[in-house]
Amino acid sequence: MSRTDLPDAKAMLDSRGLYDGPTIHSMNPLLLMEKIIRERIIDSMYWKEQAWGLNAATLLDRAVEVQFIGGQYANQKPTPFICLILKMLQLNPEREILLEYLQDEDFKYLRVLAAFYIRLAWPAAEVYKTLEPLMADYRKIKLRTQAGYKLTFVDEFIDDLLTKERVCDIALPRMPTRAQLEDMDELEPREPLVSDVESDEEGEEGEMMEE
Amino acid sequence: MSKPKGVYDNAATGDTSFRRTWDREEYAQKAAERQAREAKERKGRYEAKLAGKKYIPKTEADTDGGETEFDDSKMIEARRDRIRLDENLNKVQIVPLGTTGGRRGKGAGYYCEACDLNFTNSLEYVEHLNSKQHLNATGQTDVVERATLEMVKERLTWLKKRKHEQDEAEEFDLAKRLEERKKIEEQERLERKERKKVKKEEARQKKAHITSEASEQPGEADDDAAVMARMMGFGGFSSTKTRQ
Repeated sequence: MSRTDLPDAKAMLDSRGLYDGPTIHSMNPLLLMEKIIRERIIDSMYWKEQAWGLNAATLLDRAVEVQFIGGQYANQKPTPFICLILKMLQLNPEREILLEYLQDEDFKYLRVLAAFYIRLAWPAAEVYKTLEPLMADYRKIKLRTQAGYKLTFVDEFIDDLLTKERVCDIALPRMPTRAQLEDMDELEPREPLVSDVESDEEGEEGEMMEE
Repeated sequence: MSKPKGVYDNAATGDTSFRRTWDREEYAQKAAERQAREAKERKGRYEAKLAGKKYIPKTEADTDGGETEFDDSKMIEARRDRIRLDENLNKVQIVPLGTTGGRRGKGAGYYCEACDLNFTNSLEYVEHLNSKQHLNATGQTDVVERATLEMVKERLTWLKKRKHEQDEAEEFDLAKRLEERKKIEEQERLERKERKKVKKEEARQKKAHITSEASEQPGEADDDAAVMARMMGFGGFSSTKTRQ
């Protein structure tokens, strides 16, 4: 890894020659985002003013200011959230840094941001392993779409990331389902997060029967 | 009788002393410096080309330091504040005549002092602030320091601390705030009362003044004009609105 980062995505998207920087899924990371939304982001004021010259540490300043998630809102304006995702694709932060983002308890939008990036960039088995524990996070988050705001939750969003093809107006890289990965012995069967609740329910049912 | 002195009569300085004079040595030195600088740049470009790299002009600090690639202090940092694009909103500015074409020089719009360029829209201006041209002019390089895990951790703990401090500051005592509000309202009420009193007093004095004036000089023609004016719907040229 070099000691420096670039202030913007210009050099990485230069299409004159072959790309020889770091890759994700053996391609230029910035191309993980479709051309149309990528260009809208790069033309946006947020990208030019707020996202310019960030590194993995100063990105935190912006991430804690994020008020909502989403892809595009209003008149196809990119959200700060999606701008920061592109920024992370450009910066390509190390694994430990991403886990640091993800494990933080104070800033929920930072966690969601890291989760989204991990879904985009990491191999399938690791995505499941890293993101599934976050299903225990029931905090509310705001989703902004072209139609307006919507309420969603961190666990719901993580589930979307693991099961849906398009999230936040971005086509996610194809990923085998959990069942397929289990068949290939790449994943252990998932341990339910709510194992002790089950026994309680049984107890209640027993009581009901007695009555 | 002395002759009147003409412009050309001053023998002490000669007849061309009004012309500007030049320090030849200083300019010779400047020229030498420029030539050396250009030669160095040409050499740099040539070497970069041979190595198949892009030529990046070295800043003064680099040339002093020797082999260092760039100076850390010259690296870009993320913006700490928002760019104030509405700084000059609703302000009147004097724009020199003839600067409407081209970007050189100060004109209407956003002006960059370091580069002496003017931009007519905010997006162009911000793009310029991000450009290599501007960075070179302000002595920066176009690279950002890559963050290490330690830097990220440090930043995150600082942000957390700030957040907790803010949360604590936000907690408030309702009774105390109600008390404060009551005080403020009482103060405002008193002030309003005082203002009303003063106004009333002023009006009374004015009325007394007018009546005394009218009784002093009763002009028949003036009276007629006043009656006519009132009929036409105006009493004078001044505003009928009472000043606050």
